[in-house]
Amino acid sequence: MIVALALLLGSALVGWLAPRQLVRLADPVVALVAWLVSVVAVIATVAGAMFLLFLPDHGLGALTVFHHCWDSLQHGSGPTVEAVSGLTGAALLTALLARVAVVGRRTARRRAHEGRQHLDVLRIAARRDPGPHPTLWLEHDRPLAFSLAGKPGVVVATDGLHRHLTPAQVQAVLTHERAHLEGRHHLLVTIGDVVAATLPFLPLFKRAAIAVREFVEMAADTAAVRAHGAENVRVALLRVAGHGAPGAALAMSRDAVETRLARLQQRRHAPSAVRRLLSCGLAGAAAMALPAIAAVGALTALMLLVCPYG
Amino acid sequence: MQGLGELETAVMEVLWRDPGPQRVRDVLDALNTERDLAYTTVMTVLDNLHRKGWVSRERDGRAYRYVATRNREDAVANALRALLDSAKDPESVLLRFARSVSPRESEVLRRALDDTAADQ
Repeated sequence: MIVALALLLGSALVGWLAPRQLVRLADPVVALVAWLVSVVAVIATVAGAMFLLFLPDHGLGALTVFHHCWDSLQHGSGPTVEAVSGLTGAALLTALLARVAVVGRRTARRRAHEGRQHLDVLRIAARRDPGPHPTLWLEHDRPLAFSLAGKPGVVVATDGLHRHLTPAQVQAVLTHERAHLEGRHHLLVTIGDVVAATLPFLPLFKRAAIAVREFVEMAADTAAVRAHGAENVRVALLRVAGHGAPGAALAMSRDAVETRLARLQQRRHAPSAVRRLLSCGLAGAAAMALPAIAAVGALTALMLLVCPYG
Repeated sequence: MQGLGELETAVMEVLWRDPGPQRVRDVLDALNTERDLAYTTVMTVLDNLHRKGWVSRERDGRAYRYVATRNREDAVANALRALLDSAKDPESVLLRFARSVSPRESEVLRRALDDTAADQ
């Protein structure tokens, strides 16, 4: 019971406090990995706590629990608090995860459908640059660039880019968009949105949508900076963002333009692939273990408080 | 289907290049300078484009004559506006290099840009 409560407390602590630390991570790819693994870790730790409540004697098997339950019902006393709360918690968690799965599937399908529809319209009027991720060029004066997921994912860009940016800046924009497709950022954004929509409890879940969006933009910026230099990305960002809004709905709201500009200004050189892989692995492992570590910490603190002479 | 999609683009190219009403045969001849397409293929593609509202047609004897409903620039502008102004959050489907900003924010960004230019 105590261990289970400590695990729940550890999960809550991580869900509450981790976002503040995660947004400070210098490498956006590492931050993305750490954030999403933390989400999984918190859910897994809560599930572990339910399991421990459900099986207070640590692995004697579900049958024993039912036997206990049956026994206690026969003797007129209710089943133990642990078993009841464990069962309730497990049922709640299962229902929540089922909802995440259902909403996730529906959202992914709807977005894929909308993406195909958009593409169907744009494709007809576009000139196509072939490649692993083809670029569709549109004759339009406003400088615009975006990527659409799919098989294959495509980059859509307007000729306006050429009129408002230097060739190197145009290449920086295209590299940025291709980085979205190569990093499967559309999928990550969808995962973040679904987590935020279906698990609105802790900052780690609630802020996942916004955080993932900001991190993927920064990750794509990093790729563009590595290929074309920070100054090209910075000027391209300013020129494209500053180019009049088509509709009020699109005013910069949760966009991270300012954060991105600030990061581009203090950019050190991008980490090597090996170093990044290593940092991602370490961050992932740390994030996975953190709720349990927090639980151990909480348990130790509790024992020191309650049994100071033990 | 990728192949059909590319054909739609190619057929629209032909209609945009020569804005007068064209029969399936005319479009086929224009396309077949570089490839070998069947009459029925082009007819199907034009039929699809008509259904999607890209071309209009009028009967001329036993065949139809096809015209693009709008020129390429208008088509692109329409498509982009529909995409970016769509009521359903377009940002959820596409990741944009930079979202447009409000006039005030635009002013701040413009000044930042001027500073950058002055630094160089």
